[in-house]
Amino acid sequence: MKKEEIKLEAALDDLERIVSELEEGKMGLEESLDLYEKGMKLVKLCNVRLEGAERRIESLTGEVPPDLI
Amino acid sequence: MTQIFTVTDLNERIKDRLENDPRLHDLWAQGEVSNFVHHRSGHRYFTLKDRDSQISCVLFKNQADRLGFDLKDGLNILVYGDIAVYRPQGRVQLVARGIKQDVGLGFRHLQFEALKKKLAGEGLFDLERKRALPRYPERIGIVTSPQGAALRDVLRIIGPYPARIILSPAQVQGEGAEESIVSALLALQGQTDLVIVCRGGGSTEDLWCFNSEAVARAIIGCDSPVISAVGHETDVTIADFVADMRAATPTAAAKMAVPDIGELIEGLQQSQVRMMRALWTSLERKEERLEYLRHSISARRMYSMAADARQRLDYLGERLAAALAAELGARRARLELAQGRLAAVGPRATLLRGYAVVRSNHGLILRAKDASPGEVVELILGEGRLMCRVLEIKDGSEVFLD
Repeated sequence: MKKEEIKLEAALDDLERIVSELEEGKMGLEESLDLYEKGMKLVKLCNVRLEGAERRIESLTGEVPPDLI
Repeated sequence: MTQIFTVTDLNERIKDRLENDPRLHDLWAQGEVSNFVHHRSGHRYFTLKDRDSQISCVLFKNQADRLGFDLKDGLNILVYGDIAVYRPQGRVQLVARGIKQDVGLGFRHLQFEALKKKLAGEGLFDLERKRALPRYPERIGIVTSPQGAALRDVLRIIGPYPARIILSPAQVQGEGAEESIVSALLALQGQTDLVIVCRGGGSTEDLWCFNSEAVARAIIGCDSPVISAVGHETDVTIADFVADMRAATPTAAAKMAVPDIGELIEGLQQSQVRMMRALWTSLERKEERLEYLRHSISARRMYSMAADARQRLDYLGERLAAALAAELGARRARLELAQGRLAAVGPRATLLRGYAVVRSNHGLILRAKDASPGEVVELILGEGRLMCRVLEIKDGSEVFLD
C-alpha cells in the first residue's frame, strides 16, 4: 500500500489506540519502544497527509470551473 | 330490481358514503372566497371557487373566532377540513377546521404537506434510519450547480482538508432541476464516503425542486450519508427531512462534513506528547522498580544471603580440608611407593647405559648454553667422573643422539 493511500481514519484510529495503550503502561520496555516508534510513524504519516495535501477536485460531467482549481 | 328512494333516503345514502370516505377527511383545499356570509349565529358561510368549479364551505363560530384574519370575498385561501353533506338541502360542503391565507404558493404547500406526510408514513424521516457521517471522509461528493456560490462556500470551508472532492454538477432551479439533481445523485453511486447536496438561498419557488419526491427518494437511495443544505436557515425542504443530516447553509454543511484541519494537526502533536510522556513514565516506573529491588536486596536480602554464604563457605571449607587431607594421604603413599621404585632402579642404571650427568659450579647443565666456553665442567659417568673444559658452545636443537 502506498503511503498516500493509507486511510486517514484508519491511521488516526491506530494512533489513538497506540497512545492509550502506551498510557496504560502495561507493556514491557521493548514493546513500549516498538509501539512508540509505530505511533511516531503514524503521526508523521498523518502530518504529511494533512500538511502536504493539495485539493483534488474533479467533476463527473463537464469541466471543473477554473476558479476552483 | 329497481329501487325507489325517498329524497331523504337518497341524501342519507350520499351522506353516509361521502362522510365515511377517509380520503375526504383531513384534506386541504385551495381557492378563492366568494359569497361570504357572516351569519348572526356566528358561523361563516362562503363558496370556495377556482376557475372551473366551486364548493360550499362552512366555518363554525368556535373555529372562526380563532382565525387571525377577516374572511372576505376575493381572498385566496387554503381550507383544512372534511367533506360533509347537509341533508336538508342535499348539499355537499367542506366543513372547515382551519383556514390559512394563500400567498400564492397554496397548491405547492399542499403538495409539500402531502408528500411530507406520505414519506413520514413510510418511516423515511425516522431517526433510526439516519446514517452517521464518517469522521474523516476521503471522498466527498457534492451535488450542486458548478456556478453557484454554495459550491464556493463549501470548498472554502473544506479548505486544505485532504479529501477527493467529486463534483456532480446539477441544475438546482427551474425546469428540469429535479431530474438533474436525481441523476447527479445517482452518478455518485459507489464513489463517495459522504455526499453534500446544496444550493444557496433563493425564493421558495427556486428551492422547490428540493421538495420533489424523486429527489427525496434519490437521497434515500444514496449509498453514503447525505448532508442537505438548501437555502438559508429558515428554508426547510423535503430533502432536509430525508437527508442523514440537515445543515442550515452550505457553509454549515461543509463544517459538518470535515474536521478542522488545525485541530487535527494539534491533536497529532498532542498524541506525540502523550506518547513521549507515557514512554518516560514507563521508563521512570521501571527505574523506580529497579531502585526498589536494588534497595531491598542490599538492605534486607544481602544480610541473610551473606550469612547463608558464610555458613556454606564454612561447610565447604570443612569438606575441602577433609578432601585435601585424604588426597594428601594418597599422594604421600604414592610418593613413598615411587621412591622405593626409584631407589631400586636408581640413576646409576641409566648412567651405565651410556648417559652422563654434566654439572658445573652453577649446578646441572641441561642445555649447551648453560655452559660458557673455557669453563670446567664435570661429567658424571656410570663409573667415575671426568673434569672437562668446554671448547665451543653449539646451541640448537638439531643435534640428536640416535
